[in-house]
Amino acid sequence: MTAEDFALPRQTHDIFAIMARGHFISSNGTKDNMSRLYDIINQEENFPRLQAYFNVIKYNIERGNNYFYFSRINEGNSLIEKKLETFERYIDVIDLFASMDNKITIGSRFRPAEIAEECNANVRLKQKLQKIPMYRSETMLNKVRDICDLMARDSYLELEDENTESYKVLDSYNYLMDVINAISIYEESTGTDSNSSGIIYN
Amino acid sequence: MALQVNVNDILSQLYHNRSTVEFLFANRENITVNELLAKGDLSDEQYQRMKSLDLVYEYENIVSLNDAVVAMFEDFMEIGEVTPGVINDAINELKRNIHFYQEVHEHRFLRSIKKYLKKISVALTREIIKLQKNVDDTYKNEANYRIKLQKLENYREKRDTIIDFIHKTEKTIDETRQLFTFTNDTELYGIVNALKSTLIENLDYLIEIQTNITDYINKIQFQLDVYVKAQRLKEIKDHGTLHYRTNFTEVLKTINTLRYNNVKGPRTKISVDFLFTDDGHLLCKRVAEKYKLARLMMRGVAGKLPGNFKEQLIDQQIKLDTEKLVERFLTQTKHNLFEYLMDYKFPKAVGNVTFEDRLSLFVEIAMEYQNDLEFKYRLNYYDYEDNQQRKKRLGYTIILPNKQEKKSKKAA
Repeated sequence: MTAEDFALPRQTHDIFAIMARGHFISSNGTKDNMSRLYDIINQEENFPRLQAYFNVIKYNIERGNNYFYFSRINEGNSLIEKKLETFERYIDVIDLFASMDNKITIGSRFRPAEIAEECNANVRLKQKLQKIPMYRSETMLNKVRDICDLMARDSYLELEDENTESYKVLDSYNYLMDVINAISIYEESTGTDSNSSGIIYN
Repeated sequence: MALQVNVNDILSQLYHNRSTVEFLFANRENITVNELLAKGDLSDEQYQRMKSLDLVYEYENIVSLNDAVVAMFEDFMEIGEVTPGVINDAINELKRNIHFYQEVHEHRFLRSIKKYLKKISVALTREIIKLQKNVDDTYKNEANYRIKLQKLENYREKRDTIIDFIHKTEKTIDETRQLFTFTNDTELYGIVNALKSTLIENLDYLIEIQTNITDYINKIQFQLDVYVKAQRLKEIKDHGTLHYRTNFTEVLKTINTLRYNNVKGPRTKISVDFLFTDDGHLLCKRVAEKYKLARLMMRGVAGKLPGNFKEQLIDQQIKLDTEKLVERFLTQTKHNLFEYLMDYKFPKAVGNVTFEDRLSLFVEIAMEYQNDLEFKYRLNYYDYEDNQQRKKRLGYTIILPNKQEKKSKKAA
């Protein structure tokens, strides 16, 4: 049996190669033909086929707001500590991004130097940055660079231009937003719950 | 107008100075008199003439085209800013003219009515296209979120105004329908019909725009809300109560994205065959360098294939065939080996086999298959001509198939 028998798109392999690494496929990504892959998955006839195909090997395509990713079917949640640690760091990073004068949101472009500069000028930001645990990052600029690199490796950001070190925020950033929105804070849950109720998370 | 002018005058003036008019139309701001005259298209006299006709204005040494001229061009090319005010004016004018026409059924009012009806139709469509473009642009390109939000809200208001205009126009048309039928004017009928369908179409577009705006605003608002929440979470985290005051742990437990469940990408082993290829060797070499292994460095990459490798392939083919050749030779008894080779008709694919080639084949077979052959230790002579056409004689041993061996084989 070959891939043609399933009438799968030609790019199935590329899609798998990206998503099986745990990366996201965002609609506004440019590397590795990302936006093209997104369109292919998003096509009405392709999605159910790909879904069925990957379900055979227990991968499930999850659809978010302009992004896709894989989850495993029937998998026990192992290593919760590691996950907690990762997401705690994301909270730090998003908090930093949220506190910038020019807030970094989906689609915005920025350079690490800009963030470092703003942190330099603002004590609050400086403190936030310093408290983000990163190893081997002495200067502030290097630390911001490391953070951007980390986010880019998790495919939330994309290094758009290596020469100018300009990053772009991808649609997968929505994923982090959704996760944060899903967390409810006790004692004052009334205000935030109404926002989160309409969105389904997995 | 300062002077009594006619259409002909204006047109000829505009045409005569068309490069200047074009230049001024394209650069509507900040052109000084000196700049204009320095361009060389326009003499001082011509400039004064245009000024006297009021085609250009001069204010504090800055030249601009007459607004009426600019408006004419813009209207005709359907570019330029349309503001809701224009539509509003048109509607008011339309109402006024309808009123006049109701009083006195005169043709001049009817003409104005047609004009304004057309104007409304064009202006509305352009306004909507512009609105849609602006909404899109703002959401995608406006960097500052506060301005973005405000702009989108403004567009929402603008949209409401346009909807208001559409309803107003519809109402006016409906009210005067009887009047329009009364005029019995087919052109007017066509215009009104076109306008009506445009209005309906435009309403649909506006609804679409409204959804877009709402969607965009919601998305921005959502992001902002989440950002506020992220800051709040961070605060809680700094207090060290993240796991106790929120359902952080529970939420994360339900996250089953590959990346965060310690699922590594599928890893495959390198095929052993690949390691024997040149690419594989390079890979091995790199690994060897990394781990400082000298042993693996021995084997080099195969050299480049020579240009004539195809010919060499033919040589090889002859070699490969020798075994078959010998077998055939062994089955016959008529010729000795030398004669056999000299007379043997090689297949065409091998190409032309020269005397030298046959000779080397003879030596090769004699050496490699000596066990199968019977050496007579007698010389025969062979006469031939070499390249320079000289007569030569070659002595060779008579070699026959080994009959005894065959017999013994049969006996066995």
